[in-house]
Amino acid sequence: MASARISAPNPSAAGSVSAFLAGFRRILRDPFSVAALTIYLLLVLVAIFADQLMTHDPTQILFRANGRVATNQPSGGTYLLGTTNLGRDIYSQLIAGSRNALMVGVTAAISVAALGTLVGLLSGYFGGRTDAFLMRLADVALAIPFLPFVIVLSGFFRANTWNIVIAVALLLWPNTARVIRSQVLTVKERAYVEAARVTGASDMRILFVHVAPNILPLTFLYGSVAIGWAILTEAAVSFVGFGDPSRISWGYMLQDAFVSQALSRGSWNWFLPPGICIILVVIAGFFLARGAEEVLFPKLRS
Amino acid sequence: MSFALRRLAHSLFVLWAVVTILFLMFRLMPGNPLAAYINEQLSEDDQRLIMAQFGLNRPLYEQYVIYVWNLAQGNLGMSFFRREPVWDVLKSALPNTLILTITGLVIAYVFGILAGAWLATKRGTITEALLVPTALATRAAPEFWIGMILLTVFAFTFGWFPSGGANSAGAAYTSEWDRVLSRDYALHLVLPALTLALYLQGLPLLLMRSTMLEILHDEFITMARIKGLSPWRITIHHAARNALLPVVTAFALGLGATLGGNVVVETVFSWPGLGRLLVSAVAQSDYPLAQGAFFLISLVLIVLNLAVDLVYGWLDPRVSHG
Amino acid sequence: MPNSIPRQVSRRHALTIMGAATLLSSTALTRPAIAQAAGDPVRKIVLITDTQGAAPQAYQAGQLIAQAWKQLGLDVEARPMARQAQTDLVWFNRDKWDTTMWRMVGRPERSDPDEMTFNLFHSSTAPRGFNFVGYNSTEYDKVAEQQRQTVDPAARQKLIKQAQEIISRDAPYAFLVHPNTLQAFNQTVFEPASITVQKGVGIRNFWTFIGATPKGAQKTMIINSGTALQAIHPLYIAGAPDSWVNELIWDRLVRIGPDGLPRPWAAESFKFTDEKTVDVVIRGDMTFHDGKPVTIDDVIFSFEAPLTTDKSPMFKPFVTDIDRIEKTGERAMRIHLKRVNAAFATTALGRVFIVPKHVWEPHLKSVEGKPDTLEAIRDPMNVGSGPFRQVRARLNEEVVIERHAAHWAAPKVERVVLRVIPNAEAVVGMVRSGEINLLSEYGGDPDVLEKLSKDNPAIKLTQVTDVGIEFMAFNNRRPPFDDPAFRSALSAAIDRNVLIQAAWNGYAVESVSHVSPAIDFWHSTEVKAPATGIAVARSLLDKAGYKVEAGRLRYPAGKKETLQPPG
Repeated sequence: MASARISAPNPSAAGSVSAFLAGFRRILRDPFSVAALTIYLLLVLVAIFADQLMTHDPTQILFRANGRVATNQPSGGTYLLGTTNLGRDIYSQLIAGSRNALMVGVTAAISVAALGTLVGLLSGYFGGRTDAFLMRLADVALAIPFLPFVIVLSGFFRANTWNIVIAVALLLWPNTARVIRSQVLTVKERAYVEAARVTGASDMRILFVHVAPNILPLTFLYGSVAIGWAILTEAAVSFVGFGDPSRISWGYMLQDAFVSQALSRGSWNWFLPPGICIILVVIAGFFLARGAEEVLFPKLRS
Repeated sequence: MSFALRRLAHSLFVLWAVVTILFLMFRLMPGNPLAAYINEQLSEDDQRLIMAQFGLNRPLYEQYVIYVWNLAQGNLGMSFFRREPVWDVLKSALPNTLILTITGLVIAYVFGILAGAWLATKRGTITEALLVPTALATRAAPEFWIGMILLTVFAFTFGWFPSGGANSAGAAYTSEWDRVLSRDYALHLVLPALTLALYLQGLPLLLMRSTMLEILHDEFITMARIKGLSPWRITIHHAARNALLPVVTAFALGLGATLGGNVVVETVFSWPGLGRLLVSAVAQSDYPLAQGAFFLISLVLIVLNLAVDLVYGWLDPRVSHG
Repeated sequence: MPNSIPRQVSRRHALTIMGAATLLSSTALTRPAIAQAAGDPVRKIVLITDTQGAAPQAYQAGQLIAQAWKQLGLDVEARPMARQAQTDLVWFNRDKWDTTMWRMVGRPERSDPDEMTFNLFHSSTAPRGFNFVGYNSTEYDKVAEQQRQTVDPAARQKLIKQAQEIISRDAPYAFLVHPNTLQAFNQTVFEPASITVQKGVGIRNFWTFIGATPKGAQKTMIINSGTALQAIHPLYIAGAPDSWVNELIWDRLVRIGPDGLPRPWAAESFKFTDEKTVDVVIRGDMTFHDGKPVTIDDVIFSFEAPLTTDKSPMFKPFVTDIDRIEKTGERAMRIHLKRVNAAFATTALGRVFIVPKHVWEPHLKSVEGKPDTLEAIRDPMNVGSGPFRQVRARLNEEVVIERHAAHWAAPKVERVVLRVIPNAEAVVGMVRSGEINLLSEYGGDPDVLEKLSKDNPAIKLTQVTDVGIEFMAFNNRRPPFDDPAFRSALSAAIDRNVLIQAAWNGYAVESVSHVSPAIDFWHSTEVKAPATGIAVARSLLDKAGYKVEAGRLRYPAGKKETLQPPG
């Protein structure tokens, strides 16, 4: 989504790891980026310590002292966020959902970033037929409606979280690839790349030693936006009923709340928290992109 | 002219590629098209008959040729369950989806562009510090989640809008135009279109804002400022016009997400559109119908992309000659 | 007339499965090891359930059952599956699953026990039909066949009950519950007494549609369906809401009354002159929606189209017992049967729709010699002779039908609008706002509806016990489920009262056989719920030779595990 915004990256960004670190330090000075990194850090910590944080088994049916199922309990007390209409602890589900979010987000981010970067690098560096072919492929991927594609994929294969990750990777790489490609086009004209070529460095060496480090910030940027996309997609697919039925995710919780009419019962304690968690993680990606905008467009930094 | 032809050829190529992917997707997938036919009476012969009726018993390449040939003639095949041509099923849903999409997009882009331009003049203020995250948050929230909240508040609690559907029960109209132009239809359209718009406005808003910021730093704006033109005049006459091009590009890119996103909005608001058809067709393994719905959504996407391309080339001659 | 069955008393004495476990586990685990060597440990059992989103009650029940079975020393995996995937596995890969949650839904024609008795358990339907569990008993087959051929109700009743006893003993399923159908209507719009509650079906039935009397200016009945219609067609019914509309547009010779028994409808009378001959006289005052009279030729055509051609495959099974039909008068015909069929009135006369010959005969000619069938042919006007005529059909959105004033039993309401609303929250909102005035389908939380009715006295709730059954199906083909003792033990481990309370929210009654108490004439009260509890299950297993060693349940001595858990 941020393609146009960063489609003209600053050509003066230095071409080395130290410049990348400098950019990272600059990011740390941006409050949005700090907020984003804090959210990510929290997500990772919650996911790692989920077993310690959960108060109940998120899938277990809970019973009250009188032997009846603990349905629709309000928040507070034993059940921090209350219970579902089938007697599961909402807070514990929320914590369990962080694992799924992290897993889906990170794998989608890595695959989108890796695929997009690789295609962008090859396309930009080699140009000619390679470029034409890869960019055609990108056009085709962009012409496939995203959510319907994921729904069809999850509907016909056994509904599975990995299908969502695969679909995200298959359809979201072109945006990354296009931006990376245009960046590569400018970087490869630079003197030190020329110098490396004259000294007889191989294409691969030039590509991965001299060019790639320059575009790493962009890769991270697109990766972080892909985290959000993947989580949102998982939620939407779950909502229409094609989610992974055996894995607790925030999207699963929302669908569960939706079909059991949490809103008609006024169970906002059930419907709101997963949505807010999704917003936080997705927005972290946007914040990071926005923070990076300041890095990539230093002109605005005045 | 040659630019237009080049774009057209390109679109046709993309269309062919999408059709091929679509074919492979539906034929190579696991899942039994007969699984939905739970029927005591379905003998093995009947199963074979159904497979034959839908051409599922031929070799793959033959099926492919037949499929493409039929598509070229506008024949999307027969729905497994409805036992009628897929196109007849889709054509009743297509206008609803187009109207919802376009209304949502227009609201989002008009609002987003205006608000974005305005926000650019507020750099460094509290307003910016509050509104930018808000815009991002609506973009980051699941559409169905926002939709359900709107529905609960404005339909269930206040009763300002109907709870779902595209028309009041049993409303009769003389023609399709009459129907979609009625007040009743508009009333039913408000909440779904608003949900869609809330989701979509973030991109034009932020994009407009950042390109405006860039342009406001350019020399010709500084010149104008020196000349003593009012900030409003500068914004409207100089900056906004230049900032629009990337927004137009983003519009095209956003279409894919919009048409896809309809799927969930249509479910929340019981909106009888293509997205819901697709979902139910996939749930029932009605391959021809799912394939047809998918194809139509892709086709709309490709056509709109082409239109945006052409408009863009016309707006910015550098593109068509580049 | 609408009756509210009070919430199940079971809530009071709900002994939790967990409670039972702690109570009993100590005795079981401390039992000294039996000297004789046991068989192999039983493999991991996969228990398939619906997904939580698709069927929350069945999902919940599956989870509870898995928890109970684990206490028997079984390794159980509860695996939620999407409907399609579940069907593909259970129906089309019959030897590849262990056990699954399944249901038979209630339909008016299932008020006759034949379908549940014959189709579900007769061995002839095991390879491809409804006997997907592969139950195979020559004793049962005989009874199931006999009841079909026994026209005398009292004699047939005896056989139907006998069948229930055999099934109860052999336990091919673990019967769980008959869910209660929860519906509602707006009693400020309709006279409450004019809303008919049909046994095992509820208020969305033919008699309500023609009988509902508007109180005021609102003369349109607005009902809902969660799924889109597939087709409105007299020879092709693909979805549940399709049949609601179809049976209003096209008449039948016989209809199932509110009491669940067939009664003459378009037929003035029908009578068996002997076991294999039925004389039918039709009414003389019927017209099609296009104004043409309904004649005996139309009726004969309607039966012969599926009978003598293969152009109406979906309706063919309904007429399969018919040998031939002869016209015996201006309004009379005689049906000769190939074999005796006690349920003929329900399963044939009560199923086939009367279609206008002048519309469908040309269509039949047009598909002759082609692979196409009549099912793919659409009559845009959908001319029938039923009490409602089609006005407009947008299958994804809404269907509008209006009263056929010339009908001899013309409805009281002007129109019926069926709205397609997939969002259950929205459905409740619409009932509240009057956008729906007869809630014909409700899959949501019963408590929400109860609260709605409490807050809003205009909304009248109705509840009936369904003809449908929710059960745990055992794959009788696969050991250890091929052993009736093992199945009975697993069934005994399930406390139905806990399920009713924890999964069905109290809106269900315990099921003991395949014939619902909703059809009390056929339901056997002799078949009692077996004693349940983990202790009972353990002793049953023990008696049958299944021993627990080191916490794992093992086959009887000498028995090897030959199967893998389903992948």
